[in-house]
Amino acid sequence: MLRLTKLAVRLSLATALVVSATSTIAADTIKIGWLSSLTGALSSAAIAENQGVQLAVDEINKSGGILGRQIELLTRDTAGDPTKAVNFAQQLAFSDKVHFVIGPVNSGEGLAAVPILARAGVPNLVIGAIDELIDPVKYPRAFRVINTNRQWISTANDYAIKVLKKSKVAVIADTSGYGTASAKTAIEMLEKAGIKPVYSVLVDNNKTDLTDEMNKARAAGADVVMPWTAATGMLGRLLNARGEIGWNVPVVGHPAIMAAQIRQLLNKPEYWQNAYAAGYVSTTFSADGKLPERTQQLVDKIRPKLGGGEIDILFWWVAMGYDTVKIIEHAIKTAGSTDAAALQKVLENTRDYRGVYATYSWSTTERNGFPDSNMAVNQANTFKDGSFKLAPR
Amino acid sequence: MNSQTTKVLSLLVGAILIATLPFWAGDQYQLHLAALIAVYWILIAGLNLVVGFTGQLSIGHVGLLSIGSYTFAILAGKMGVDPTLSVFVSGLLGGLCGLALGLPSLRLPGFYFAMATMAFSMIVNEIVLAQVDLTGGGIGLPGPMFPKPFDSPIGFYYLVTAIALFVTWLTWNIARRMWGRAFISIRDNPVAAQAVGVPVFKAKLLAFVFSGITAGVSGAVFASLQSYITPDTFVFELSMFFFVCIIIGGRGSIIGPFLGTVVLTALPELVSPLAKLGNFFYGLLLLVVVLVVPEGIGRMFEIISERLRPRIVHREPITPDLNRLAKALKGHE
Amino acid sequence: MLTVIVTGLAIGMLYASIALVYNVMFSTSKVLSVTTGHLSMVGGVFGAYIISVLQMHWLWGLLGAVLAGATFGWLTDVLAIRRVLARSDEHLWLLSTLALATMVQQGVGLWWGTEPKPFPRLITQEFGAGLMDQKFWLPIGMAIVMTIGLEFFYRKTMYGKVFIAMSEDAFAARARGVSTDKIRLLSYVLSGALGGLAGFAAGQLTFAFFALGHTLTLLGFIALAVGGLGSNIGALIGGAALGLLNSFASYYFGGEYQQTIAVGLLMVVLLIKPEGLLGAKNVRPV
Repeated sequence: MLRLTKLAVRLSLATALVVSATSTIAADTIKIGWLSSLTGALSSAAIAENQGVQLAVDEINKSGGILGRQIELLTRDTAGDPTKAVNFAQQLAFSDKVHFVIGPVNSGEGLAAVPILARAGVPNLVIGAIDELIDPVKYPRAFRVINTNRQWISTANDYAIKVLKKSKVAVIADTSGYGTASAKTAIEMLEKAGIKPVYSVLVDNNKTDLTDEMNKARAAGADVVMPWTAATGMLGRLLNARGEIGWNVPVVGHPAIMAAQIRQLLNKPEYWQNAYAAGYVSTTFSADGKLPERTQQLVDKIRPKLGGGEIDILFWWVAMGYDTVKIIEHAIKTAGSTDAAALQKVLENTRDYRGVYATYSWSTTERNGFPDSNMAVNQANTFKDGSFKLAPR
Repeated sequence: MNSQTTKVLSLLVGAILIATLPFWAGDQYQLHLAALIAVYWILIAGLNLVVGFTGQLSIGHVGLLSIGSYTFAILAGKMGVDPTLSVFVSGLLGGLCGLALGLPSLRLPGFYFAMATMAFSMIVNEIVLAQVDLTGGGIGLPGPMFPKPFDSPIGFYYLVTAIALFVTWLTWNIARRMWGRAFISIRDNPVAAQAVGVPVFKAKLLAFVFSGITAGVSGAVFASLQSYITPDTFVFELSMFFFVCIIIGGRGSIIGPFLGTVVLTALPELVSPLAKLGNFFYGLLLLVVVLVVPEGIGRMFEIISERLRPRIVHREPITPDLNRLAKALKGHE
Repeated sequence: MLTVIVTGLAIGMLYASIALVYNVMFSTSKVLSVTTGHLSMVGGVFGAYIISVLQMHWLWGLLGAVLAGATFGWLTDVLAIRRVLARSDEHLWLLSTLALATMVQQGVGLWWGTEPKPFPRLITQEFGAGLMDQKFWLPIGMAIVMTIGLEFFYRKTMYGKVFIAMSEDAFAARARGVSTDKIRLLSYVLSGALGGLAGFAAGQLTFAFFALGHTLTLLGFIALAVGGLGSNIGALIGGAALGLLNSFASYYFGGEYQQTIAVGLLMVVLLIKPEGLLGAKNVRPV
């Protein structure tokens, strides 16, 4: 009896698999896959980007869709797990047969999922910053929307060296995929500019106290600290450590230094002074307190969805999410179809496409769409409604 | 139909289904899932001997998987060694690490041993993160592909299925014969086992080293399947997953954990709300199984089938034949 | 240098408190529960929740942490231990407590979030206080208070003596009329309360972080194994040794090899003296 029951289980499982496979009816929608780490590490970025993506999808669908077809957004929560990212990428590419994939958000997941999407020939809008995610030869249909990590690092390095006129740099990064890659790149770029860092360390981003590392940096004679981690918790602790040992060294680095969550993590509000981060022209207030026009329009549109009050997340995340969907709309409209090869051609020939977050240009040899001119340096504690003031020059 | 025929028939049907899977699977994603099940099963089959048969609760096997994966990625990827040779080396290294871990820890009582294996998996993770030059640290390493004809998804599926079948055959042989009985006796009553002459420590070590070898091999093909490995992949929760597959399937059997693996891998993919719960679901499942049917879900089917169609127990009451007894007694006088 | 010692002692006393919790649980049930570290985690998280989110006085936070820990301890006995001990299978409780621990960890992670959140200050104090900062002397003080409290409990109160009786010979205790099930439940509730208290006291050091559970289970266990199962003084010594070793290693070699060094200590002690420094040799008549 037991053997028959086991046989029954096997057969029913097999049937279930077959049925679920064949039941994906090809509806006449445009399917966009969204690989987002809505829970787990870096979830704050993913959740904000999700807001932008959802708003764009709703907006486009309300006005009739793209080429008369509605957008179907398939969101897959990867929870920061590369294995899940791989599985979902496979699922989106082969099972759901999506026309475009946005993401993944985390660099670690991206490293695993981007090659799979490339193998499947699915066009992919990359929103992770590390360099290895883009390769015109290996991943011909992957186009980057976010700035590259090098752009963040060079903007910060320029500010530290040329504006603040510092020369003894301490590099502190986390042990994640992003942190390890960034530390390497940052040190490389500093050395190209003729500066050898006096102290560099990789720290687990859940380490609760960074006093040791800050003390060692001070002992090494550092006159500027450059952190490369997207973990707001760790950055908060770093700023606290700097304040508690009474060391008024400038901190210049990753945009997360400016994130609103840091306010609650700081032991004293003045610990946020003397901190600057790489940022964007699109989310910087001009001298008379105004945001660029397109940014302001999006802020007004999305404010009710974010609770109606002050916006307390980094607005560029929202803007970037919004732009990814608009880029897909632009690509499909221009190509006149959802054929992957045609979409690739269109994106390769896109020059100066004006989005909210940036103005994008790609080419047959260049898959990084974010222009250097859209980078800026912001002052950390000037956060207001999602954007910042320009750092003093 | 007696149980022998049903057993053979079901195995035959199963074998045919597995062999022809690429053709009825629907799309590449499901083929990928099937290959993933096979890869997990290579590790779980070996771990089954340790947890299910010998009763050593090792919750740190993800460390051995990690070692296997990174060895393969470094040898076949960075150093360009032949992938097939790399798989062997991964297995060997897994076995050696199993030996190194097992020698000091297998003498310890249950909880101590579990903690030692948990600590081992944490150490492996730390070393992987720290040795950035070797393992790429947080960035990870790409998982190289096998040479033709195994570089296509269908070819790869047949490769891992072949390895999985071979490992299954090995464990089935071990389980059926002398060592299998020795393992079970150690699990159920180590003192009695030792009293009867079972070499307890040697048996435990043998099972553990074997599971290390299978974990190493599994890690190698896992790296190739995932095409990219990072330290994020090898978290403690994966160890829990292997563990739960075995316990749910039922300790002491081979088919049980296999079905457990299939169900637990496929379930979160088919039922997406479960995927959000993720590890909470595995914990809940383990708790329910331990409390209600500790022998595994196979036993639950037995209980249900007993209720539905109870076995008819033939009672043979023994009534003494008094006359014959009297005669026999009288005959002695 | 002094900072390194004080930091090491402080975190070591957290490990020691967890070892104390292990001891209490073990004394009545002969079970080492995987949920022990999670008791502290729950204490820390609930304390932070009540004080920071609900904005209540820290005494309420303390009460909340203790209650949360006690409830969790009660749950551990009811769900994971009671039915399982009734069966003769020796290691089933390991699985059930592991399952419960995972469930609680993931549940807290889903509710509280996956980032370590800062634990609020309990007593107003300047942040630059250096070595006298409360985040150091709170866990140290708590561990000492717990040890003294437990000694008093065991020596002077009736329940304490019953605990000792059960730990020496559970069958004899039951024969003498002790309701072993109720006493075991009480010991789990007590150990849960202690665990929650320890987590609350050390919150400023560890932050309110859902993933602390498994790490604390392991490190608390190492403190226990080094000091010896069953000995409270041993727990303090083991915890201090582990904490100091961690702290020095992390200062000189960087934080990368923390777990490796901690486990190295465990392995060395277990190879040389398996029952720990002050533990009793476990001889069982066969």
